[in-house]
Amino acid sequence: MHIKIIGGRVYDPAQGLAGAQRDLFIKGDRIVSSLKKTDRVIEAAGRVVVPGGIDLRGQVATYGLNFLHLWNGFPSLQELGRLYAAAGYTHVHEPFLTMYTAGYVHRQLAAIPLVDTSASLVLNLRDIDNQLKSLDQMEEVGQTVKSLQEKTRALDLRLLEPFVRYRQAFYSHRTLDPVKTLETLTGLALECDLRFTLEASPQVLELPFPEPRAFHLAALGRAVTDARLLELALARLEAGVTGDLGFEPPAAAAAMAGKPVKVDLGGYYPLDLNPGAREALPALRLALSYQGPNLAFSLGGPVRNPLEEFPPYFAWLWDRKARPKTAKGQLPPRKFSLAAWVWATRTLPARILGLADRGHLKNGARADVAIFDLAPDTPSKNWVKGLRRCHTLLKAGEVVIENYHLVQPETPKATYYRRTGAGEGPLLAEICQYRSLRPENLWVPDELGGAWVGLD
Amino acid sequence: MQETVQVEQQSIICTGCGCLCDDLDVTLVQGQLQEVANVCLWGLSRFFPTKRLHPQKERHRLLEPLWRQNGRLQKVPYALALEQAAAILGQARRPLIYGLTNTGSWAQEAALQLARKLKARLEPADLAFKAPYYHSLRKHGLYWAPLEVIRDEADTVLFWGANPLHSCPRHLVRYSVFARGRFTERGVEERRVAAVDLYQTEMAKFCHLLVQIEPGQELELLKGVGAHLSGSSGAQPAVKGAKKLAKLLSEAEFGVIFFGRGATYNQGFAVLDALGGLAARLGEKKPCALFPLAGDFNSQGLYHLLLNALGVPEAPDFGHEGGVLTSAVPVDFGEFDAILVLGADLFWFLPADQALALQKRQVPVVSMSPFANRTTGCSQVVLPTALAGLEAAEVAYRMDGLPLVLKKLLPTALPADRDILLDLIQAI
Repeated sequence: MHIKIIGGRVYDPAQGLAGAQRDLFIKGDRIVSSLKKTDRVIEAAGRVVVPGGIDLRGQVATYGLNFLHLWNGFPSLQELGRLYAAAGYTHVHEPFLTMYTAGYVHRQLAAIPLVDTSASLVLNLRDIDNQLKSLDQMEEVGQTVKSLQEKTRALDLRLLEPFVRYRQAFYSHRTLDPVKTLETLTGLALECDLRFTLEASPQVLELPFPEPRAFHLAALGRAVTDARLLELALARLEAGVTGDLGFEPPAAAAAMAGKPVKVDLGGYYPLDLNPGAREALPALRLALSYQGPNLAFSLGGPVRNPLEEFPPYFAWLWDRKARPKTAKGQLPPRKFSLAAWVWATRTLPARILGLADRGHLKNGARADVAIFDLAPDTPSKNWVKGLRRCHTLLKAGEVVIENYHLVQPETPKATYYRRTGAGEGPLLAEICQYRSLRPENLWVPDELGGAWVGLD
Repeated sequence: MQETVQVEQQSIICTGCGCLCDDLDVTLVQGQLQEVANVCLWGLSRFFPTKRLHPQKERHRLLEPLWRQNGRLQKVPYALALEQAAAILGQARRPLIYGLTNTGSWAQEAALQLARKLKARLEPADLAFKAPYYHSLRKHGLYWAPLEVIRDEADTVLFWGANPLHSCPRHLVRYSVFARGRFTERGVEERRVAAVDLYQTEMAKFCHLLVQIEPGQELELLKGVGAHLSGSSGAQPAVKGAKKLAKLLSEAEFGVIFFGRGATYNQGFAVLDALGGLAARLGEKKPCALFPLAGDFNSQGLYHLLLNALGVPEAPDFGHEGGVLTSAVPVDFGEFDAILVLGADLFWFLPADQALALQKRQVPVVSMSPFANRTTGCSQVVLPTALAGLEAAEVAYRMDGLPLVLKKLLPTALPADRDILLDLIQAI
């Protein structure tokens, strides 16, 4: 299919385009510089044309998340896919996949229609605590981590707890403090070409980051609880660490208010799936204080409805009047431009996930394009109205949403993972010996997910 | 002379129960199953046609479709049996699809599709066991851990109304009691195990505490445990064992309460409510999980599907004009005029008066099963199926909700559950 999108105002920070009127040409699933023939023309005059959205931290398939249905706290996966597409998103990244929940997460991700998916492997450092104590075994640890990443079909690596701590006093001699852990991880990252996402917390912000480019700080909003921590977060971002905001999602359904919903993934602390309403202002304060390129948009908890939950935070970013009255006088006066919004929701998330052909509209990029009904001279207070739902969504050159209606519900989707090519060493065998499943059944087979796309 | 071809297949998954043990090593000779290693007697009956826990007693394998004519089941071609089944279900005013806890997830998804098409009620075979559990979670919240974590961390294990030696025999060895986890390296020596039951079961041989109660004393015992946890002596006369049980649970660093069907036989909703409350209370200080000990191999998969697709882990009824209604109360068979049974032996569990009532009303039953059982004996149409995980590939969820792929090991001419259900959807 040869498609021409004409007359739109293109926002593509990767090319320095901030509302320039440009035509886009699509051949097959790619953006090209021109077309000799055109099968279809999409009129975008008076509209905003941006790359398809990428949710860097879309907690949608975490093990145990479907229990939230018990309190009407979660939409069906079918519905979730449609909601993401309607909001102009083409990729969702699940943050919490572990070695033994990988099959579960991938089966859930595969059931989400329309949008592509991927997941982060959460490393349990207790699996490699002895090896982390010395720098001599970094290569073996690196190979093992890469092997785990490929076998669980994860796109990147994440740490919920950048330390080693045991609930059992008997094992206290094996603990590793966060400073030492981060130092070792830095060595590991440099030696084995790895990058780690750390779940942000006040404690994490206090740590020294010897090599900022080796780390991403996830859900920063919950960590910047005071002015000093805000300064620390800004310093980390300035130094080159990337981060995502982690706006706290609105309070969950009333039926689950106050109910503990925790899932133990084998870490020191369980994962809290119902953290309750938390302060969202710290994330906003951080977003408005930082003016560099290293901060992406995200929510800090389970994503229940991107159509409802994202727009209020978008409005806060660019419309001072939309911001909470309680924050009056406490926030920097900065307003996000549309280009900055595109950067935070598309361009930077794609770069962080290593999706080289997404998040921008350069020639050769995959044709994931969202068109929003927003005239160029619309005042920012009305942006959210136009950006809440996308008018037209193309995914890999195929029109999925047209005139706000889903026209291609069966559009192909894929799950992306990193093909590391790492072999199996003795350390991996040692890790596997503690598992209740044999390795052949522990690793994710084709049937539990897909369609699979391995990235090198 | 023909050469003997012997093939070893390792790490095969057993569909004997919800444990889905994945360490079975299988030997095939000339394409036929010769030997299965690491299997329990319960699982053995899935691999060889023998009765559960009685490997010497043969079980009749169904190999051809049957249709009841003139009161007798007679062999018929698959197409004719399918046509008859489709006619029975398609013409029914109130059809019921029953069972599904012993079928793979792909078949369960197809059954849900069929239920929508027929405007039928879909009844999980163990609804009376699971519904009170989910009801309790709604009220008290949840602390959930996969068996992997329980095996590594749980130092206090309570079995309530459950005898895993009979419902899921290797559970004790692989996950809960004798298993050597990362932080429970000495197995049972590092755990304290208790059981609450009406009888002195085999569990008494290794449990540190077995509280034997009379029927109807469950709530009193739970009340007594709660009182002791609060520091008071509880109501008098107290159920014997309440104080010791409270002490054992209060000292847990990581506790888990496995409950079995016995917890739901008498006042199931009230007992699970109290157990959920106890787990939540203990969980305020230290991790404490409440965990259903599902015997059927894919019970968890069915409730997972219902949660994912409908948002409610109950029996959906598509036969109402206002939309889907769901029910936590087991079905009243008197409402229905045709029943499709698969992945369960309905007539084995059905009280005699209800079975008689169905037969008296001449409610036609269509059954899908790999083996002959009481239900197939009472059916109008019987569709034999391939065994999931042996003759047909499938997906099943372990009792902690982790999905596993079941491989096809043996060739068969019999269709898989899912294929028959999709054929029925086409034919109706």
